[in-house]
Amino acid sequence: MPIEPDDKLKAPALIEVEGEVDPGAEQFEDPPTGRAMDGVRRLASARASGFARFAGWVFGSLFSLILTVAAWNFVTGLFAANAWLGGLASVLLGLAAVIVLVLVAGEARAFARLARLDSIRAQAIHAADAADLKAARAVLHRLEGLYAGRPAMKWARARLAERQDEVFDADGLLRLAEVELILPLDAMARAEVEAAARQVATVTALIPLALADVATALVANLRMIRRVAEIYGGRAGSLGSWRLLRRVFVSLVATGAVALTDDMMGSFAGGGILSRLSRRFGEGVVNGALTARIGVAAMEICRPLPFVAAERPGVSATVSRAMAGLFGQRDGG
Amino acid sequence: MPDPVIRLGVTGLSRAGKTVFITNLVANLLERGRMPQLSARDRIEAVYLQPQPDLTLPRFAYEDHLAAMTGDAPHWPQSTRAVSELRLSFRVRGAGFFGGLVGPRVLHVDIVDYPGEWLLDLALLDKSYEDWAEGVLARMAGRAEARDFMALARAEDGALALDEPRAMALAAAFTAYLTAARAAGWSDCTPGRFLLPGDLAGSPVLTFAPLPKPAHRPRGCLWSEMERRFDAYKARVVRPFFRDHFARIDRQVVLVDVLGAIHQGPRAVEDLRRTMAEVLAAFRPGRNGWLDRLLGGHRVERILFAATKADHLHHHQHPALTAITEALLRDARSRADFAGAQTAALSLASLRCTVEEDITRGGEKLEAVRGRLADGRQVALYAGELPGDPARILAPAREGAERWLNADFSMMGFAPARAARKPGEGPPHIRLDRAAEFLIGDRL
Repeated sequence: MPIEPDDKLKAPALIEVEGEVDPGAEQFEDPPTGRAMDGVRRLASARASGFARFAGWVFGSLFSLILTVAAWNFVTGLFAANAWLGGLASVLLGLAAVIVLVLVAGEARAFARLARLDSIRAQAIHAADAADLKAARAVLHRLEGLYAGRPAMKWARARLAERQDEVFDADGLLRLAEVELILPLDAMARAEVEAAARQVATVTALIPLALADVATALVANLRMIRRVAEIYGGRAGSLGSWRLLRRVFVSLVATGAVALTDDMMGSFAGGGILSRLSRRFGEGVVNGALTARIGVAAMEICRPLPFVAAERPGVSATVSRAMAGLFGQRDGG
Repeated sequence: MPDPVIRLGVTGLSRAGKTVFITNLVANLLERGRMPQLSARDRIEAVYLQPQPDLTLPRFAYEDHLAAMTGDAPHWPQSTRAVSELRLSFRVRGAGFFGGLVGPRVLHVDIVDYPGEWLLDLALLDKSYEDWAEGVLARMAGRAEARDFMALARAEDGALALDEPRAMALAAAFTAYLTAARAAGWSDCTPGRFLLPGDLAGSPVLTFAPLPKPAHRPRGCLWSEMERRFDAYKARVVRPFFRDHFARIDRQVVLVDVLGAIHQGPRAVEDLRRTMAEVLAAFRPGRNGWLDRLLGGHRVERILFAATKADHLHHHQHPALTAITEALLRDARSRADFAGAQTAALSLASLRCTVEEDITRGGEKLEAVRGRLADGRQVALYAGELPGDPARILAPAREGAERWLNADFSMMGFAPARAARKPGEGPPHIRLDRAAEFLIGDRL
C-alpha cells in the first residue's frame, strides 16, 4: 500500500534531557503481600459490618437520649416540687457526670498505654527487620520512658544505659534491651500466670457448683491478664482487660489453633491419667492448662518486645510448674 | 575423650590488624562485660589462658600487646615478625534441659598469630615459577618503585650460567622493590619471606627473582636455577607453614583493611581484591560430616569476612562498608557458601579508638568521629561518603582508574585512646562480640 504524505511513519527522534535515571531504583506498584494470610487475619479480627455499627450507633444514641431526657425531667420535676430536693439532685447528677468522666479518662489512658506497648513492639520488629539502628535506639528510649517510674527497675535501666552506646547493630541492641529489661518482667508475669492456672485448677476441681466455677475462672483469668499487662507496663482498666481478653482469644484462634493441640498434648495426657483417678481433678488440670495458654498469649500481646533472646514459655512447662505444688509432683521431678 | 578444640584461623594481610584483633578478642573473652552480643556470656564460668599445646612455638605475647594498647601512653603493638600461638580454655555450663545434669564442659580455642606478609605465599602454592614471574613482571612494569629492579633484570640474560653474586644482587634489588611496594600500599608483595626472612636470610632458597623466560635454556642456566629455588621455596618454606598452621583450622576470620585500600585509590582496591582471592583459594571450606571428623579431615566450617577499622566511620556508614567488603571478597564467599560452609560479613573495630561526634562544615551537618592521632592531636574526621552500591568502588578499581570519580575519601591513622575501664570490662570495641558469637558461639 502506498504511503500517503499525511499517513507517513513516525520519524526517529532524539531529545536531550537533564538529569540521570537509575533503572535499578525504580519502584513497582503492588509488591506481593500474601493476600491469603491477610484475608485470614481480617476474618479473625473481623469488626462488625457497616450496618451493624450504624444500628449500634442509633440504639446507643437513642438510649443516651432517653437517659438524658429522663434525668432532665427528673431534676426539673424535683425542682418544681421542692427547690431543695432539686438542688440536691442536680449536685448529685453533676458529681455522677464527673465520676463517669474520670472513669472514661482512666479507661482511655489505659487504652493509650496498651496501644503504646503495641506500637513499641511494632517499631522494634520493624527496626530489627530493617537493621535500622536509629529506630532501635528510639525503641530503647521509649522503653526507658515506659519504665522510668519503676524504682525496682532502676538497676536494670542503669545497666542498659551503660551498654547501649557500644552496640551498633539494631538486633543486638534490641536483644540487649530484652535481656536486661524484659527478662525479669517475664519471670514475674510467668509467676502470675502459674498462680492463676493453679487457682483455676483448684477451684474447678473443688467447687461443685456448675456456674460458680465458670465465674471464678473468668474472674481469675481477667485478673491474670490485668496483672500481666501491668507487669509489662500497660495499665489495663476494666474495659481494657475485657478488650485484652477478646484479643487474646482472637490471637488464639488466628495463630494458635495448631499450637493449641500440639502444646496441649502433654497436658491432656497428664490430665487423662488424672481423670482416670478422679473426673474432677482431670477437669481441673484441663482448665488450668487453658488458663496457662491464655496467660502465655496475654504475655505475647502485652510484651513490648517480641520473644527473641528468650523463648516463648511453653504451655506444658508452665502447667507442670503450676501444678507441681498442687498435685505433689515436686519431689517426683 | 579429649576436650573439644577449635582452631581459629585469623587471616589478614600485613597491617590488617590481626594482632590487635587477637589481643582484644582474648581480653574481652577474659573480661566479658563488654560482650553483650555473645549469647553464651552468662553460661561461661571461667576462661583461662593456657600454655599452648604446640611445644616448639613461642607464646603469643598477649600481656605485652594489651599493655601497649591500654597503658598510659597507648600505642599500637609492634608488627608481628614470627609465628606465635595461644590457647584459650572455656569452662561453660551447658544450655537447655540437660545442661544442668551434665555439668560444665571444657572447650579450647587455639589461635595463631603470624606475619601477614607470609600469608601471601599461600597464593604461590599452585603456581609455577614461569607463571609467577610473568605475572609479577607484568604488574611491576607500571610501578615507579620497580624501576631499579627492572633495569637490572633487563640487563640479565636467563640463558647464561648461574653466577651467585649476580643472583644475590638480583634478589637484593627485588627485595628492595618489595619493601618499597609494600610501603606504597600494594598488597601483592610475594614472596613474603623476602620482607621478613627470619632465620632464612641469605640462604639460597631466598635468593631468586622473577626473570623473563629465555628462548633457549641450557643446563644450569640462571633461569633454571631460579626455577629450582622457587620450587624449593614452595616445598620447604610455604608448604610447611600452611600445613602446620592453616590446614587444620575449623573457623576462619578474614580481616581486610578495606578503608585503607579505598584511601589509597582504585588500584590498591583492585590489588587487594586479587590478592585476597588468590590467598583464600588455598583454604578448603565446607561442612565436616561425621566421617570427616572421624578420619581427621578438616574443613573450614565458618568464615567471617570482616572489614576492620570501622571506628574510623560513623555507624550509619557501616552497612556500606560491609557491602563493599562482601563485594570485594565475593569469589571466596560464593565458593565457601557453595561448599556448605557458613559465611558472614561485618564491619568491626578490634579496638575502638574514636567516639562519634557531629560536626558542621559550611552549614552542613556531618556525622564524624573524633579521636587522637599518633602525634597526640585530637581531631574530628569525616572520611567521605561511601557509596551504598559497591559497584561505585569496585568497577573503577577493576577498570584500573587512577583515582575515584566524583568522590573523595581520606583516612587518618588514629591511635588507641586512653580508656578508663571498670572492673569486669575489656577494652572497647565495635562488634567484636558479634564476631565471637559467629565464630565460636555455637560451640559454647
